[in-house]
Amino acid sequence: MSGAQAAAAAVQVAGGVALAPLVPGLVQSAKARLQGRRGASPLQPYRELRRLWRRTPVQPEGAGPVYRAAPAVVVAALAVCVAVVPVAGQAPPWGLGSDALALLGLLALARVALAVAAWDSGSGFALMGSARDLTFAVSGEALLALAVLVAALPAGTTDLAALGAAAAGAGVWGEPAHWCGALALGLVVLLETGRQPIDNPDTHLELTMVHEGPLLEYAGRDLALLQWAAAARHWVSLALAADLAVPHPVEAWPRLAVLAAAIPALCLVLAVVETWQAKLRLLVVPRLLWAGAGIALLGLVSWYAGSGA
Amino acid sequence: MTVQAAGALLLGAAGAAVLLGGHAVGGAFSGEIGPAVGVDPLSGAFLVVIGVVGAPACLFARGYLVPDRAGRAVGALTGPFLLALASVVVARDATTFLGGWELMTAIPAAAVLIARRQPAVRRTVFEYLAITHLGGVGVWLALLLAAEQGSLGGTSGPGGATRAALLALALVGFGTKAGLVPFHAWLPRTHPVAPAHLSALMSGVMTTVAVYGLVRTLRDWAGPPSEAAGLVLLALGAVSALGGALWAAVQRDLKRLLAFSTIENIGIVAAALGAWLVLAAHGENGWAAIALGAALLHAIVHAVAKGLLFLGAGALERAVGDLALDRLGGLLRRLPWSGGAMLAGLIALAGVPPLAGFVSEWLVLRSVLEVPLSGPLGPALAGALVLAALAAAAALGAYAAVAVAGLVLLGPPRRPECAEASEAAAPMRSALLALAGIVLALGAAPGVPVDVLADLAPGGLEGAGVAGLVVPGTGRLPALALAGALVAVALVARLLRGTPAPPAPVWVCGQARSPRLGWTAAGFTKPLRLTLDALLRPAREVEVIAAGGLVQEVRHRAEVPHPVEAYVYRPVARAALAAAEVARRIQSGSLRAYVAWLIGLVLALLVAVRLWGGA
Repeated sequence: MSGAQAAAAAVQVAGGVALAPLVPGLVQSAKARLQGRRGASPLQPYRELRRLWRRTPVQPEGAGPVYRAAPAVVVAALAVCVAVVPVAGQAPPWGLGSDALALLGLLALARVALAVAAWDSGSGFALMGSARDLTFAVSGEALLALAVLVAALPAGTTDLAALGAAAAGAGVWGEPAHWCGALALGLVVLLETGRQPIDNPDTHLELTMVHEGPLLEYAGRDLALLQWAAAARHWVSLALAADLAVPHPVEAWPRLAVLAAAIPALCLVLAVVETWQAKLRLLVVPRLLWAGAGIALLGLVSWYAGSGA
Repeated sequence: MTVQAAGALLLGAAGAAVLLGGHAVGGAFSGEIGPAVGVDPLSGAFLVVIGVVGAPACLFARGYLVPDRAGRAVGALTGPFLLALASVVVARDATTFLGGWELMTAIPAAAVLIARRQPAVRRTVFEYLAITHLGGVGVWLALLLAAEQGSLGGTSGPGGATRAALLALALVGFGTKAGLVPFHAWLPRTHPVAPAHLSALMSGVMTTVAVYGLVRTLRDWAGPPSEAAGLVLLALGAVSALGGALWAAVQRDLKRLLAFSTIENIGIVAAALGAWLVLAAHGENGWAAIALGAALLHAIVHAVAKGLLFLGAGALERAVGDLALDRLGGLLRRLPWSGGAMLAGLIALAGVPPLAGFVSEWLVLRSVLEVPLSGPLGPALAGALVLAALAAAAALGAYAAVAVAGLVLLGPPRRPECAEASEAAAPMRSALLALAGIVLALGAAPGVPVDVLADLAPGGLEGAGVAGLVVPGTGRLPALALAGALVAVALVARLLRGTPAPPAPVWVCGQARSPRLGWTAAGFTKPLRLTLDALLRPAREVEVIAAGGLVQEVRHRAEVPHPVEAYVYRPVARAALAAAEVARRIQSGSLRAYVAWLIGLVLALLVAVRLWGGA
C-alpha cells in the first residue's frame, strides 16, 4: 500500500465516521450567517450527539424487535456506504468493493429499515414521513441510476475509483455530458441530504417533514445513532460530489487537498441553496427529480451526438 | 404429499447435476414427430427451480390442505402439475413440449375449480384459460415453425421474415404465460384464487418455465441474436416492471399484490434478456453472458422469494382467514417463524442488501447499464430509459414490500382473529423456513450460481471470473463481505444502544391512541397515488349525506382502475363478441347448409393450392 493510498483510506474512515457530523454543522452555521443570524457553532451536532448518548432510549408502547433493530441497521447501511465510497480515487483496501450501483441498494436499505420501523411503532408521523420518503425514492433512484450512467460514460465502468479518475483534469469539462451529470448529481445530493428545496431539516411540522418524520419516536442513544447516520449521509453525498463534479487533478495527494477544500465549499453551496430556495410543495418534488433525470438523458444524447464515441 | 416432495427434490437434484456437470444427458432437440426427452445445462437450471420451489410447496400442502375430498383431489393434482412443468423443460421435440405446455396450463385450472366452487372463481378460471390459450397459439405456431424450419434440430436457422415471425410469436406466446404487460390480465386474477401451494407454483415456477421457453427460443431456435428483438424485450420488460410495481403498490389484498409483484419481477427478467440480446448483437459477448446470468439469477431468486411469500400467505390464510391488507397486522408476534420467513422474502423482494434480491437486481441494473455504455445513440437512449424505469421499479417494489411487512406482520392487530392467531403447523413452517434459508444463501454467495448461469450463454464466459461478483467494469460486489460488514456493524450498534427505559405511549398529538387512528394501505400509498395520478388515474368518490345542515355521514370510495383492462382487453372482448354475433348467423342449424359450406371451403382450398402452391 502506497502512502497516498493509506492516507486516502484514513481520510475515508476518519472523515466518514468522525468528521461527518461537522458537515451538517457547517451547513447550518453558514446558513445562519447568510440569513443574518448568529447561529450555533459548526460543532453543535457533536454536542447534540453527546447529550443524546448520555440518555437511555425510550420506545413506544407496542413496538417490537423491528423497531429496536432499525437504528442499528440504518447505521450499518451508512457505515458500509462510507466504506464503499472512495476518496481521492484510491480504491479502499477492505474488500467491500467500490461500486456505484451498490450505493443504490445500501441507501434503500436505510430507507426501508426506517419505514418498516415506522409501521412497527404505528406512529402516524413516522408513517407519513416514510411514505413521502419512499415516494421520492421512486424518481430518486431513477435519477441516481442515470447520474451514475452519465458519470460512467467516459470511464466505461461503474467503479467509483475509476469514475473519479475519469472526472479528473480539465478536459472532461469540455464535454456537455459532464455538466449534465454534475447537475443531476447535485439533485441527488439535495435529495439524499434532505435539504431544501426537497426537505427542510429544521422543521418538525407534520405538514412538511420527510426525513425527520421517522425519527420522531426515537430518543436517547437510538436518536444519536440515527443522527450520526444522517450526518454520514451528508458526508457520503458530498464526498461523491467532490469526486465526480468538482474539478480536481489526477494525482492522489493534490486530490486529497482538493477534497479538504471541496467539502466545506460544497457545504457553503448547500447553505446558499437553502437560503435562496424555499421548500417545494411535496407533490412537486418528484417533478424536480424527473427533470434531473431528463437532464442526465440529455447528457447521454450529447455524449453520443457530440463525440460519436 | 411427502412422496411428491421427495420426487420434486430428486428432479431438482438431477437438474443440478446436469447444470454443474455441464454435459447434456439424453436426446438432443429434434424436429421429428415422436417423443424425445433430454436435459442440457439450461434445462438443468430450470429443473433446479422446479425442485427447489416444488419440494417445499408439496411439504407445505401436507399441512395446508384440508383432508376432505376436494383437498385430496387438489393434493393429487400437485404432483402431475410438477411433472408437467418438468416435461416442458426436458422436452426435446415439439409434440412433447406442446403437450407439457397444455397440461401445465390445464392442471392448475382443474385444481382451482375443484378447490373453489364460487361462480366468480369459475369466471376467473375461464378468463385464465381464454387468455393463456389465445397467447398459447403463439407458442404452438412458434414451435411448429421452428420444427418446420429445421432450427429445432439445429440443422439450419430460420432467416428473414420467418425469423421475425418466429420471434414475434414466441414473444407473445411465452410472454402471455410469463405475465408480461400487456398480456398479463389473467395473472393477478388467477394466482390469488388458487390454493396457496399452487399459487406459489404458478407465480414462482410456471412463469419461470415460460421464461425458459423464451430463453430457449432466443438462444437456440431463432438464429443469431437479434437487436430488434432485444429492444422489444427491453421495452416490454421496462413497462412490465414499472406497471407491475406500480399496481402492486396500490393493491389492498395480499395475494393480489403478490401477483402484481410477479409481473414486476418477470419484467425485470425480460429487460435483462433484452440487454443480453442487444449486447450479443453488438458483439459484447462477455457482458451478454453476464446479462443472461443476471436474468436467470433474478428469475431463480424471484421464484424462491415469491414461492415463499405465497406459501406464507397460505399459512396466514389458515391462521386468520381473510387476507385483506387492512384487516391483518401484528402477525409477526403471533407467528414468529412463518412471519420471520415472510419478512426475509419481503426483504429479498424489496431488493435491499444483504439478501438475494439486492444481488440479482444489482447485476440486472449493471448489465442493462452496459447497453447505453456500449451502443450507438439509438440503443443507448433506449437502454438509459429502461435503466431509469428499472431503478424506479426497484424503489416501487421496496415500497410495496414495506407496505406488506407493515400491514401484515407489524403494528397492532387490526381484528380479533389476528390477536389470537397461532403459529402454522410444522410442515408449513418448515417449508417456509427452508425457502427463507435459500434466499439467505443466495444473497450471501451469489457468485457461485452466476458463474454457472453465465456459462449458459452461447460462447460462455471467457476468462471473466464472476465468482463473488467480481465483474470487470464494476467496482465489484463482494456480497458475502458486504453482508458480513452490515451484520457486524448492526450488531455492534445494537449492543451500544444499552438498556431502554420503560415504554411510553406513541405521540398522537396528545390524544388517546385508538385503532381508528391506525394507518391503512390506501393511506400509506397516498403520496404515490398523488404524484403519479397521471399514470394511475385513481377514481375517487366522496358522498356527503347532510340532513338539516348537519353532516350525518360521509361515504368515501376510492379505487385504482386497471387501464390495460379498460383500454386493451375490453375493446378486444367486445369485438370478439360482435364477431361471434355475426358468425352465429351462419349457424342456421340446417345440415344441408353446413355441407354446402364445407364443400365450398374444400373447393376454395383446392383452387388456392392450384394457384399458389405450384412449387
